[in-house]
Amino acid sequence: MDSPAIVVRNLRKIYGSKPAVDGLNLEVPRGCFFGFLGPNGAGKTTTIRMLMGLATPTSGEIELLGLAMPAHAQEIKQRMGLVPDDTLLFDHLTGSEFLEFAGRMYGLERNTARQRAAELLHLFELDGSARKLIGEYSKGMRKRTAMAASLIHKPELFLMDEPFEGVDVVGARLMKELLLDLVKQGSTIFLTTHVLEVVERLCDQVAIIHAGKVVVQGTLAELRTGTETLEDAFVRVVGAERPTEPLDWL
Amino acid sequence: MGSRARAILWAQWRTLWNHFPRSNRFGLAFTLGISALWYGVVAMLAVGAGVLLASPDQGTTVAKLLPGALLLALLYWQVVPILLASTGASLDVKKLLAYPIPHRELFGLEVLLRTTTGVEVLMVFVGAFVGLVRNPRLPLWAPLALIVYAAFNLLLSVGIRDVVMRLFARKAIRELMVFLFVLLAALPQLLLVSGMGARFKVLIPLTSSQFWPWIVTANLLQGHFTPARGLALCGWTAAAYWFGRWRFEGGLRVDAHESATPVEPVGSGSGWWDRLYRLPAAIFPDPAAVMIEKELRVLSRSARFRLVFLMGFSFGLLIWLPMTFGGSGSPDSWVGRNYLALVSSYALLLLSDVLFWNAFGFDRTAAQLYFLAPVPTATVLFAKNFTAMIFITLDVAMVVLVCTLFRLPVSAGKVLEAYLIVFTVSLFLMAAGNLSSTYNPKPMDPAKSFRSNSGRQTQAVMMLLFPVSLTPALLAYLARYAFEVEWAFHAVLLFFVILGFLVRRIAVESAVQVLGRRKEAIVTALSQSDGPISG
Repeated sequence: MDSPAIVVRNLRKIYGSKPAVDGLNLEVPRGCFFGFLGPNGAGKTTTIRMLMGLATPTSGEIELLGLAMPAHAQEIKQRMGLVPDDTLLFDHLTGSEFLEFAGRMYGLERNTARQRAAELLHLFELDGSARKLIGEYSKGMRKRTAMAASLIHKPELFLMDEPFEGVDVVGARLMKELLLDLVKQGSTIFLTTHVLEVVERLCDQVAIIHAGKVVVQGTLAELRTGTETLEDAFVRVVGAERPTEPLDWL
Repeated sequence: MGSRARAILWAQWRTLWNHFPRSNRFGLAFTLGISALWYGVVAMLAVGAGVLLASPDQGTTVAKLLPGALLLALLYWQVVPILLASTGASLDVKKLLAYPIPHRELFGLEVLLRTTTGVEVLMVFVGAFVGLVRNPRLPLWAPLALIVYAAFNLLLSVGIRDVVMRLFARKAIRELMVFLFVLLAALPQLLLVSGMGARFKVLIPLTSSQFWPWIVTANLLQGHFTPARGLALCGWTAAAYWFGRWRFEGGLRVDAHESATPVEPVGSGSGWWDRLYRLPAAIFPDPAAVMIEKELRVLSRSARFRLVFLMGFSFGLLIWLPMTFGGSGSPDSWVGRNYLALVSSYALLLLSDVLFWNAFGFDRTAAQLYFLAPVPTATVLFAKNFTAMIFITLDVAMVVLVCTLFRLPVSAGKVLEAYLIVFTVSLFLMAAGNLSSTYNPKPMDPAKSFRSNSGRQTQAVMMLLFPVSLTPALLAYLARYAFEVEWAFHAVLLFFVILGFLVRRIAVESAVQVLGRRKEAIVTALSQSDGPISG
């Protein structure tokens, strides 16, 4: 039997004296579309950065695709596709150059990387801006470029940090359909998002992180009680139900 | 070289290539002109070294000069980047770690990139190498020692860069490190000045040991081979490799977010810091007051600015101290008499990079606010220039304070003179800087203490442009010397103050037009990041 795609045990990350992630436990089965939710500052990005190998945990264990991080970091990275926050793009490269760069970094032959880059640009409707620098792209175009780069080496596991942020309706629809296809083919997707509609439409399983800990994990049906919407369930779980005090001057 | 390393170099090449046609012509011409001048001087040095080392009759001179020259090369490569708060081009590991690239390939590239802080030394080494090869008295293997010495420097530089970046990444430790660096470097001079050096004479044989890398290399370059010397140079290089690799691996494990641990920013509460920040509101109306307040808060919280501010009044003292009070220097010499003005001018030079030449550098994406908010552009420039003057005043005050604490000769007249000079020179720097900041803005990371570019432009400014901007001060001193009266000095400065105000006013008008015309280019330039290699 295949090992889970992601196993996290007692993961901690402490900045100064403040824990950003505090004893996080998580298991994501293979072939699952997994949504990782949480309010701002809950530790989502820190967690995904540790999974990506961009941040070193203070303590705890991470296993991806049955291999331990960081001992097998190179092998894991080779089999992973990342859509991190857009600061990891290179602003002075064109979209096509960046995709070729990403392909070659994953060990593809130069010609293969170039060909796949052109096909991905077409798929993500970026070919019209192929000669434009990424620094001149809109936020949505940057996200589409990052997603295209994550696909270039045909990975098994995707880690995506807010992949739909700033993407227009057409672009988001294209990306969602593509991701669903990938899951059908057996890939695993782990994504963080604030857009609950995305989670409701795409995810098989969800975990909610609050103050650095997973407070609930399960299917959408398990998360909701009665006729609750996902938004209601989210607010209940993170304990954010507080009365708003109107401002006199507003 | 691995395929991934080649991909990184290719991407960096494309980055530079793409940047070229989009660069501002003025900025490009400025950079090219300055680079041509700078490297022209270095090329002449390289030719000189080649000619000297090629001559078989100069053996005695070479024997005398070579160890010192090699030590100087080492110091230039390792220490000057620290003095200029610029660590040279480096891999953007934060971005590259996402890819499955073996660490040894990253290390190999990083070692190559260390050439960016020692290009001048390498140029001179090439000249020297050619000279050594052409010298008929030397064995053929002798010049090879120079290659090993260059490798030693490259590897050492990787380790030193990481240590410096790590030490200077954390608040409080960074400030402490500046003082420790200054104390450490100033110690020998202070011992000499205080007469305590005699007690440490026992250490002299240690410093002239035959096994220091520059002495070993000098001997080998002259053809004096012994197995011990060969082993010593290889040993130093192996140690530098181990040190560089160890620090590089350590650097890969550091989370960039970790060093940016959230801490209570200075003046965020309601204490006296906050009242100081709000002082401009007592003098100016908004929006000028709030913009000055914003500049004061942002700059005082920026790691890089705090570092140059500290260096301004500490490294400056260190550099001029030996010339003034140590060795053959004397407090009665011209340098000794004008010590305060000299150190203050050095502080001005360091601060000018952030405050004048690239005044929008820290604004990055926030620069668009200047174009969105209903604020006249001239007010933006005024706020930046006024804030610059506040920090320069404070830095000179710190110079005076430190000099007083160390019982160096300080008088009210000399303090006034230092202020007059820096204020006069600042007017011209403001004028040039307002234009340079609008024509050639470059994004800077306020959280990084050390700039990652090669510092070539800073060096060029230091060596070529800054002395030009000191012309008013030089003419004032010349007038005092020629007429032997104090009023001549002040009259010249007064003339330049009036001229400076006029020049600044014209420059502001011009910069306002440029800001209006190039707003899109400026916002884009300030919000862009580097390629896989920062620099």
